[in-house]
Amino acid sequence: MIRYGTQVVPGLDGVVRHHASILRAAQLPGVVDIVPGYVSLVVHYDPRDTSFALLRDRIPTLLALAPPTPAERPGQTVIIPVRYDGLDLEEVARATECSVAEVIDRHTAPEYQVALLGFVPGFAYLEPLDPRLVLPRRATPRSRVPAGSVAIAGAQTGVYPAETPGGWLILGTTSLALFDPYRQPPALLAVGDRVRFEAIGA
Amino acid sequence: MTVRIRSVSGLATIQDLGRVSQRSIGLPPAGALDQRSLRIANALVGNDPTAAGIEVTLGPIEIETSRPVVIAATGAIGEWRCGSESLPPATTVALAPGTPVRLTPGPQGRFCYLAVSGGLAVPELLGSRATYLPTGLGGWQGRGLRRDDVLPLGEASAPPPTGTAAKPLGGSVEEPIRITGAGHDQWFDGNAAAALTAAPYRLLPQSDRMGSRLAGPAVRASIRATLPSEGTCLGAIQIPDDGQPIVILHDGPTVGGYPKIGAVIGADLDRFAQQPLGGSIRFAWVSAASAERAARDAHTALDRLIRAISRPDSIGR
Repeated sequence: MIRYGTQVVPGLDGVVRHHASILRAAQLPGVVDIVPGYVSLVVHYDPRDTSFALLRDRIPTLLALAPPTPAERPGQTVIIPVRYDGLDLEEVARATECSVAEVIDRHTAPEYQVALLGFVPGFAYLEPLDPRLVLPRRATPRSRVPAGSVAIAGAQTGVYPAETPGGWLILGTTSLALFDPYRQPPALLAVGDRVRFEAIGA
Repeated sequence: MTVRIRSVSGLATIQDLGRVSQRSIGLPPAGALDQRSLRIANALVGNDPTAAGIEVTLGPIEIETSRPVVIAATGAIGEWRCGSESLPPATTVALAPGTPVRLTPGPQGRFCYLAVSGGLAVPELLGSRATYLPTGLGGWQGRGLRRDDVLPLGEASAPPPTGTAAKPLGGSVEEPIRITGAGHDQWFDGNAAAALTAAPYRLLPQSDRMGSRLAGPAVRASIRATLPSEGTCLGAIQIPDDGQPIVILHDGPTVGGYPKIGAVIGADLDRFAQQPLGGSIRFAWVSAASAERAARDAHTALDRLIRAISRPDSIGR
């Protein structure tokens, strides 16, 4: 694991993504998977084909030789249409002392960045959320959150790709498939993509 | 050319060695929790190491096939029988069409594996036939097997002769599970590291294919359990605020925000997964270098065992 810090810092995610793409392109023998986090990069390797000591030597050299973070932003912009009819929408409005319309405005306004994927396949952690909407998770998670639920938790927002248990606050629903194993690529969003939510009629 | 499920009373899933390179889209490896046992079962029926078999836990499964096959059961077997006849474990057995065989996991572990010559020919999904239960992907319709499921069988190649037996791999269940650092040393002091090895942990029954939950001496991290999410690995030992460790297994999340005090080393993961529910587990720290050495040694030992199964007389196989 390469650690860049212990707290989320603006701009750091770009460096992590850039390093992830350099290491992917390098195709180091024995490296089987590369997973960017908010402030870290995890390199999975097979000890039959390489070693921690070897990678600890090679990787910093590779990253030092690589060009600096590119100026133009990689990735695509994805528009996600949302019906804002979520179970927690009114609760969020109450807790943030906003009207429902204002919650929707504040959620649709930003261009979000895909910081990382995880939790379940295709689940993208999007940030930054409007500070006014930052709320804790539900005290008791729901045992079933339907696929397509658009939700918030802490400073993050995201869309549930499949029905799973979940503690995020649900604002609405999209009919876009965030994950389809028969599609290439299976995940709609990749780290580095940008996302906008667009309110559609209920 | 099918396998029919006559009954299942626990959890039976189709598994192979899993997906290795899909973590960056959030898809964990899935696959057999005791990879060695599945590989041995596949070798005993002449299958490729990557063939899919059935992982059985928490209760028996009974199956029959539509054509003559050879079949083998490995792992933590309680009972393995054909009608009233007991079958030898980890041995190539011939099975006539329509004859029911029944495999029951035993209390000495958690998972049994059943391999059938030809392998279960369910469609591959993202490079594997493994079942990923949390969102229902892969395997047979993304779920555990049920009575009357009829599964396709692949083409068999020449299997070892009936009666071929796998030698035991050695290594005792009671030996401590070896663990190594996971890059989070800054959040754990020596007391925390010592707590983990001071006394045994009990494996809680809530443990599943996603992770093993342990109860024992509380391990304290110097921060709250909300790090910016980062990649996890198989065997990672997460420490939530209550100090009771959770070990990530094959269906577990690919990222997480809990501090990780260490990780079960690759060479001991199969043995860790087989620790009985409710049983006690001891940990022992080892260096990263010795973890790597142990992984290479374990692979070498397994490869040797499998070569011995696959007809030592036919060179080049």
